[in-house]
Amino acid sequence: MIVSIGFTVLLLAGVPIALVLAMTAMIYIVVSGNTILFQSMPQQLYGGLEKYGLLAIPLFMLVGELMNEGGITRRLIAFAGVFVGSLRGGLAYINLVANLLMAAIIGSANAQIAVMGHVMVPEMVRRGYNREFATAVTAAGGLMSPIIPPSMLFVIYGVLAQISIGDMFLAGIIPGILMGIAFISVVAIMGFFYAYPREERKSRRAALSDILGALPSLTIPVVIIGGIAGGIATPTESAALAAVAALAVGAIFHREFHISHVPQILIRLVTNSSMVLFLVAAANVFGWIIVYERIPQMLAVTMQQMTSDPFVFMLMLNLLLLGVGMIIDGIAALILIVPILLPIATSSYGISPFHFGVVVCLNLVIGLLTPPVGTALFVAANVSGCKPTAIMKPLTPFLLASLLILMLITWEPRLVTVILSQ
Amino acid sequence: AKDFRLGTIVPAGHFWSKYATAMGEAIKEQSGGAHTVTVFPSGQLGDESQMVQQLQSGALDMAFLTIADVSNRIPAFGALYAPFLVDNVGDGAKLLKGETAQKLLEELPGKMGVLGMGYGIAAMRQMLSTTPIETSADLAGKKMRITPFKPFRDLYNIIGIAPTPMPLPDVYDALANGQVDAIDVDLELIMNFRFDQRAKHLLLTNHAMFPMVGLVSGRVWAELSEEDRKLVGDNMAKALDDLLAEYGRLEPELVSQVKATGIEVKEVGPEFFPGVVEKWEETWKDQKPLIDRLRAEAAAM
Amino acid sequence: MLFLTRASKILAKAELTAAGILSVAVTALILLNVITRTLGESLFWVDEAAISAMVWMAFLGASASLHYGTSVSVTLLPDALSTGIAKVLGKLVDIAVLVFACIFLWLTFKWFDPIGLAKADFSFQKFSASTYNFIYSETTTTLGIPKFWLWLVMPVFAINSTIHSLANVLAGKPVETPVSTLANPD
Ligand code: NA
Ligand code: NA
Repeated sequence: MIVSIGFTVLLLAGVPIALVLAMTAMIYIVVSGNTILFQSMPQQLYGGLEKYGLLAIPLFMLVGELMNEGGITRRLIAFAGVFVGSLRGGLAYINLVANLLMAAIIGSANAQIAVMGHVMVPEMVRRGYNREFATAVTAAGGLMSPIIPPSMLFVIYGVLAQISIGDMFLAGIIPGILMGIAFISVVAIMGFFYAYPREERKSRRAALSDILGALPSLTIPVVIIGGIAGGIATPTESAALAAVAALAVGAIFHREFHISHVPQILIRLVTNSSMVLFLVAAANVFGWIIVYERIPQMLAVTMQQMTSDPFVFMLMLNLLLLGVGMIIDGIAALILIVPILLPIATSSYGISPFHFGVVVCLNLVIGLLTPPVGTALFVAANVSGCKPTAIMKPLTPFLLASLLILMLITWEPRLVTVILSQ
Repeated sequence: AKDFRLGTIVPAGHFWSKYATAMGEAIKEQSGGAHTVTVFPSGQLGDESQMVQQLQSGALDMAFLTIADVSNRIPAFGALYAPFLVDNVGDGAKLLKGETAQKLLEELPGKMGVLGMGYGIAAMRQMLSTTPIETSADLAGKKMRITPFKPFRDLYNIIGIAPTPMPLPDVYDALANGQVDAIDVDLELIMNFRFDQRAKHLLLTNHAMFPMVGLVSGRVWAELSEEDRKLVGDNMAKALDDLLAEYGRLEPELVSQVKATGIEVKEVGPEFFPGVVEKWEETWKDQKPLIDRLRAEAAAM
Repeated sequence: MLFLTRASKILAKAELTAAGILSVAVTALILLNVITRTLGESLFWVDEAAISAMVWMAFLGASASLHYGTSVSVTLLPDALSTGIAKVLGKLVDIAVLVFACIFLWLTFKWFDPIGLAKADFSFQKFSASTYNFIYSETTTTLGIPKFWLWLVMPVFAINSTIHSLANVLAGKPVETPVSTLANPD
């Protein structure tokens, strides 16, 4: 009781979430009288990061940074334009298709929304789209980023769940593509009610030049997904190889990357990755205390008295997570949920850890856009200059589509597991 | 009344966890429900090195650990991993109950702050490869996933293999696409992870046994009454003994299961690796007297 | 107080610089791993070296984030409050962070136990025999150095966090930020 009050007070007061976790663990130790646990605390904090898979986090962040500095984003958008640009509402489709391509390089929704918002929103507004709608499409498109590999959320989930991160990446491919299809359908359906501006068809020559211009950039997702699925590299190594590819494309092909960008890139890289990694470390201490105090075991008993049906369990999980996702975001929420609920899901309900992981992550990704706390919503608003509340209306159909996909995946585990090798 | 916590790295379905649970039930019954044991499988409380640290501080009461981590701290335990020390699990069990191995346990309190109640075991180590291995020369230059600790690393360095450290869940994919060509593994793991689907050539080497040790925290032990010490000690020793016997029964069963998968099984002995045992012992010359005693005991079986 | 602010600032810069260098090292080590494995000459120690570099990077960066105020937190309540009350709350949060930093400093001090080590005449063996603390006798799996060299990042983190949070409490948070808010990961 004291522990949960302490947790809530610290969290709401605005203490950094990582420290909330570490301090809650400390309160628990004091309250339970097991002060002997204090001695293991520094080592548990350190040990939380001693995982090979976590190396992928700074590396995938580096890929995103290098891609951004090397003119790759612009070319991928032009590439998407060749295929869907001439449709009515062309730029909305270009936005989503480009987001799909970008999702295969970037591992975080917020990073992707920031990048795409800078480029796509002004462009769409210039061509006569409503600014709020343009922002909503971009924000929705960004949601695919942590589902389509690579994904920071999946890396952390894989580490927490002790399952293969490579397989977790593969597990996200079908759900990610389904999201893309759902969002494109939303744009198409909304086209019946709003008259989107029409784009001019590109000349053959321009189209060819856009395709050729994007070819070097397209090697990056090939390196990442091909490297993992083809078994040439671990997810971590594929991230390092992709960083080399992004650097080469930006510096050699596009000649846009400059050595003077390096310090700023490294500072962003270090700040952002240590933010995530410190959260993981603190979560290890928190999770260790939770397990030590046998909380998952006790919760499992309660859950099992309520239902023995895995699908009902998953529905309850979804409701819980949509609630959690309103207040705590993405990685931080994942870190709180997984140590408690994964053991219950796998041992009491026989749910595949991959299925559980995709459902939880998709849920928390949706939470990035739900108020009152939705970092991706704030990022989108910040980049586009709209009010968060104003984006909510055009965003609602996309959120409903995401929920539909979430239900579909909750109901049919094979959408996740069919692609796995085992 | 005390609720003991026992940690182990293997999952809940593994025999080590099962016998730990059985031990807990016995302790509960014999203490009239006063003492219980909760088993924390799958490294829930941390990896082996973190569990050792918690045993030392007294946060964790007991653990079933491989002696990989123990041998990193007390190198003498590495001698139990000497290549071709015993031919099968049954002999391994006898050796672990023998004088030399039991004497090693006496080093644990002083050097690690824990008490060893006895040894358990896993199945014998084998080599599984994606390509046919006709002679040991075929192994040279191959990339092999091994458990990263000194005795095994030394063995494979001598054979000329490039040891590749990798988490076990990643191995299945890695075998499929050439990230590794082979794995040092036991038959139980092959069947649990279905490595047979990805690597079709098994060298049934029985090249090393894989002992486990049942530990109790020194600090916790110090606080137990004489009576409780006996209760815990006897029951853990019994659980470990039962486990040794279980693997003895299991071994032929595992061999026939693996053979039934249809992969190529080639039974080889130390003569398949000429000069390797000698070179390994040269590397381990600090422990030579100990290894000699172990080999003498094994030869007498 | 001015001294403390300046110390915190210089320290944060040093932390970020060191962490930046470590992030390059992480990338280089992973690439080295790929190359050596392709050549069939895998190096055994590379994984552990890369992981250790990442851990150091993370804790140095985490400590610096206390100076720059770039950690993730739930700002629902502070945002809803009036400026005056939010300021008081912010100060209370800074104090809570300082309390954490001090406790953690004490924990790492007990873990490394320099006094006990001195009492044992700096003999690691004598130290672990007399204290049941085995921090100095543990070795790394593949790097071949004592583990406490790597664990040293914990006291470093504790000391630096204490300096940063003390500066925040006594002199107020600085307004400078090293990063654009754009690349907030999630
Ligand atoms: Na992605
Ligand atoms: Na939210």
